[in-house]
Amino acid sequence: MNRYLTIFGTFARACLVRDMTFRANFLLECVTGLGWMSMNLAFYLLIFSFTPEIGRGSGWSREPFFAFVATGLVINSIVQAFFMPSASELAEMVRTGGLDAVLVKPLDAQFLLSLHRFNYSSLANGIVGLLLLGWAVPRFPAPPPPVAWLLYPLLVVCGVAILYGLIIMLAAATILMGRNQSLYDFWFYLTSFSRYPAEIYAGPWGGPLRMLCTFVIPILLVVNVPAGTIARPLSGEAWFMVAVTVVAAVLAVGLSRLVFQAALTRYRSASS
Amino acid sequence: MNGDTVIASGPATTLGIRLHTWWRMLVICLEERLAYRTDFALGTLMRFLPIVTQIFLWTAVFAAADRSDIAGYSRDNIIAYYLLTMITRAFSSMPGLSSSIARSIRDGSVKKYLIQPVDYVGFLLAARVAHKLVYYVVAILPFGFVFFLCRNYFPPAPDGLTIAAYLLSLLLSFLLGFFLEATLGMIGFWFLEVSSIIFTYMLFQYLLSGHMFPLDMLAGVPTGLAGVSLADVVRWLPFQYTAYFPASVWLGKVQGWDLVGGLLLEVGWLAVAILACRLAWRRGTRRYSGFGG
Amino acid sequence: MHNRSEEANDRVIEVEGLTKEYRVYDKPEGLWASVQGLFHRKSRTIAALQGVDLQVRRGEFLAMLGPNGAGKTTFLKLLSGIITPSRGAARVLGHVPWERNDDFRRRFALVMGQKNQLWWDLPAAESFRLHQEIYRIEPAHFARIRDDLVDMLDVGRLLGQPVRELSLGERMKLELVAALLHEPEVLFLDEPTIGLDVVAQHTIHEFLQTVQRQRAVTVILTTHYMKDVAALCERVVVVTRGSILYDGSLEQIVDRFTTHKVVTLDFESAPPVAQIERFGFPAEVRGPRVTLRIDRTRIAAVLPQLLADRQIRDVSVEDVPLEEIVAGLFRGAAAQQEPAAEPAGVP
Repeated sequence: MNRYLTIFGTFARACLVRDMTFRANFLLECVTGLGWMSMNLAFYLLIFSFTPEIGRGSGWSREPFFAFVATGLVINSIVQAFFMPSASELAEMVRTGGLDAVLVKPLDAQFLLSLHRFNYSSLANGIVGLLLLGWAVPRFPAPPPPVAWLLYPLLVVCGVAILYGLIIMLAAATILMGRNQSLYDFWFYLTSFSRYPAEIYAGPWGGPLRMLCTFVIPILLVVNVPAGTIARPLSGEAWFMVAVTVVAAVLAVGLSRLVFQAALTRYRSASS
Repeated sequence: MNGDTVIASGPATTLGIRLHTWWRMLVICLEERLAYRTDFALGTLMRFLPIVTQIFLWTAVFAAADRSDIAGYSRDNIIAYYLLTMITRAFSSMPGLSSSIARSIRDGSVKKYLIQPVDYVGFLLAARVAHKLVYYVVAILPFGFVFFLCRNYFPPAPDGLTIAAYLLSLLLSFLLGFFLEATLGMIGFWFLEVSSIIFTYMLFQYLLSGHMFPLDMLAGVPTGLAGVSLADVVRWLPFQYTAYFPASVWLGKVQGWDLVGGLLLEVGWLAVAILACRLAWRRGTRRYSGFGG
Repeated sequence: MHNRSEEANDRVIEVEGLTKEYRVYDKPEGLWASVQGLFHRKSRTIAALQGVDLQVRRGEFLAMLGPNGAGKTTFLKLLSGIITPSRGAARVLGHVPWERNDDFRRRFALVMGQKNQLWWDLPAAESFRLHQEIYRIEPAHFARIRDDLVDMLDVGRLLGQPVRELSLGERMKLELVAALLHEPEVLFLDEPTIGLDVVAQHTIHEFLQTVQRQRAVTVILTTHYMKDVAALCERVVVVTRGSILYDGSLEQIVDRFTTHKVVTLDFESAPPVAQIERFGFPAEVRGPRVTLRIDRTRIAAVLPQLLADRQIRDVSVEDVPLEEIVAGLFRGAAAQQEPAAEPAGVP
């Protein structure tokens, strides 16, 4: 509804004003994010000095791999900028009674709780990701087909949606358990699996792990599928994965909403 | 001289009291940890998850490279290396030390240590030792479990002398990590916003400590100086001791006189860090008190 | 919800047998217990609210009085739909609160003392605008009401500052403005004056009285301060340990729960104690001033004797202070029930 858009706009504006007021801090956060990212890029360059590709026959040679990394940067920066800040505040809101204040308002609680705070400095990494993409794609062994460019933005959105669904389910867990295991920590460990192409998960342990992280907790779909559509030839299997990703995105958002609503009905409000 | 006779048994009692306080602190820390039972069990195991990814990554790298050795490490070596750096980091990482020192300088709570006859740095060190001991007690099960699962990746255990050198390097890495970060925090006496400086240190540490990859891999990276690779430069810096050095000792990558030299350098850097810390404290507190209040 | 019969409409809040129980885990004491705690924890059930019945008519101003942990806040949270009950039923304005119907949420407001509902980083003016959007208040109407309320509480100059920079009293006033912007029919106030100085408390009392009179809002206010009650309400509900102990007017509490009156005597000089005890139970002796408790039925007989005593310069007869009566009620109720320690974190 229109109302939700206006309210979203108010929050976006307020957070922007706040970030610009604490400009030095904002810049520091941008630089921090970029710093960590460049260390990782240096690491990847080092790896490619020893090997032509990651995973024999996987197709992830240097430039495609960097396109993969770039896609990851874009998707993660969107999630970190728009969804993580609100979600990580949730534990505190439960503790101080801020969640109570949200529940008495005639507005969807999930909307308010997942979208009231943004962290614009996280977008810096996303911008670098786009630049990296611009560097890598022309250097591909074979240029991606035009249809891939239609699929790419759609699949990036699906990736964001899958991560959003996961965040909401973690948030629901926070509401039920009401405390402290930092959301960021857990998130870091969960998403650490998706930092590299899914092809590395091979072998007696890797195969099942890959299946688990593709079809049960679909974090391996988030970056792999969009990056795969532009970096590697579009085969029948690739189209199948595109379909799976879209379905996963819809399921993630829908299922997480159900879980979240269930958590709200069981809310204990133990903040005195 | 005469004042000392007021305390009945002198140093023995104060030591006794200190030990007792320590013991109490330890017990309380342990209780606290155990109270969040799901947290502690899951949390410690979760720290190993990134290693799982690394195992798969390096397996894929070796497979595609079609070689069995990168910079002197086989694939199994690399996995063993990462697990060993986890141990080193359990000793040398000091989460929040520099920022909490900087914060206590900023909000003035460091003042009470200026007027009391308590050694601030000594106090912090004791607290860290207590925390680390508690951590080891609760972490030994998950660590042991993971190492047992991964025992096949390890080469046969080294000889007694190497093990002794390994343990020594671990102990030194604890002290070195502590004093480096303590000195870093004391920059707060001169600059209000230390976070950028701390961040830069963390960044270099991340890259050059061997946390991400064995430092031997930098042997192929040129530095602009003829015949000098990045690996050569890094071997003179203190960062390697917070992750890389003890791990490479255990794996037998550093032997004989190189090992002795490495240990001596570690001691040397530790001496530098302790001196820097003391100097920073003395100069800093002098400057600080100059501001009155 | 559409209106039913006139009579049903008159009863704005209906509560029947409302019960809320919590399962609480015992915190292990000592190291060995902590280790055991890894595998097995003992739990108990705490009843924050036990079978509460209540009816509130439109326009009533009701105070809920009780010590900490009595269940007042739990009660309000149930009526606001924040939590769901273990047993029992309630209807507010015809809605079941915990269904969290948007129509319902638009018709009431909740203000909690010392807790912020305004957005911390935004200046109050922005928070108010957000409220307007969230509650779908027509802009011109909204501006009029807002200015009206802001004038009443004289907070106009605070509107531009971020809320986190304001004092507790200033924040509470802004919270009250925000709560009334959408013209709620029902207002729940949870300890609104807690932590405030006397002047702020007084301002808020006056404000609430005016608003309640002007707009016929039904108000439930929870507090453990007698001052709030005496200033604002006709009807008082005393709650202890999750149950209602008394529900009626303030004057009746005095009649119901006391058998004594407080008589203060000013003597010429410090009197001998034995002499005093003949009249009644001495509560306090301060130099020439003595305070006694005398049974009500005996006052008529005792007073002439007192007035005749030439050593007595002045006599005054008063009711037992409300605070004392209520405190006695709390203590009495506590003594009747099992002495269970209140675990932390239970509202």
